[in-house]
Amino acid sequence: MRHNSPPAFACWFLESVVPVPLREAILGDLIEEYALRAESASPLAASRWFWSQTCRSVPTMAWSSLRSRDCLISLCIAMGVYIAVGALKLAADLTISRLVAPQQATYVVLAPVVFLTASAIGGCVAARIRRGATKFLALIVMTTVLVLIDIKVCTIPVPWWYQFGFLTLGPVTVLLTPAIFGVLKPPGGGSAT
Amino acid sequence: MIVRREIEERIGRDVSIGAVYATLERLEAKGYVSSYTGEPTPERGGRAKRLFRLEAAGKRALQVSEQTIRNMTAGLSSRWERI
Repeated sequence: MRHNSPPAFACWFLESVVPVPLREAILGDLIEEYALRAESASPLAASRWFWSQTCRSVPTMAWSSLRSRDCLISLCIAMGVYIAVGALKLAADLTISRLVAPQQATYVVLAPVVFLTASAIGGCVAARIRRGATKFLALIVMTTVLVLIDIKVCTIPVPWWYQFGFLTLGPVTVLLTPAIFGVLKPPGGGSAT
Repeated sequence: MIVRREIEERIGRDVSIGAVYATLERLEAKGYVSSYTGEPTPERGGRAKRLFRLEAAGKRALQVSEQTIRNMTAGLSSRWERI
């Protein structure tokens, strides 16, 4: 991190949550004040202030986003992508289970690979259509995994961390893959959260 | 940024920028303030500033609010000494 640049993760987090009409203004204000604070106090104190502003602004901004019509569009896109990727994953699961049916261990290893690949594809597609849709997709994936764990859909005995991995890595993959591969739709392109 | 700092100086504690913008958005929706976008500057990481202007309806609402507060607090300072 350079001394005059605010925490990159906090910036990314704010960009993901703040509604498009306010994004430029809020981030610009924070970056400007960060630079002033970094000069007058210290970069560490300025970073701490930046994070404090980020954490305290996120609930307000998230609520503001939820009240907007754009939010509903993002949710619909996320649902559409979820159904499409779900179908893709089901096809892959069926193929794998036919190929390695007698070997449970192989299936235990392949299942997370298929799941994470499907999550990554879903995240990229959703982000390409609309930036805000990835957050809803991550939420839907997390809910699905929770339900599947609860109804004990996995008949193979697996340790707790295996299921916990699905629960956490799935949504994280949906959120991070578009950022890593740079397939996020530009902010000015009518996207919103 | 100026609005947030002004509030911060007046009330003496840190205010979240999200709360300030959410309030300004609501005031704009009610027609009390209007906003326009300024020029992007390098100090702001190439991001444009949003500038707000008080509208006539906002000024009237502010005057009514100020009068209400005055009415509510009238005579309060003289009573503090007796408590």
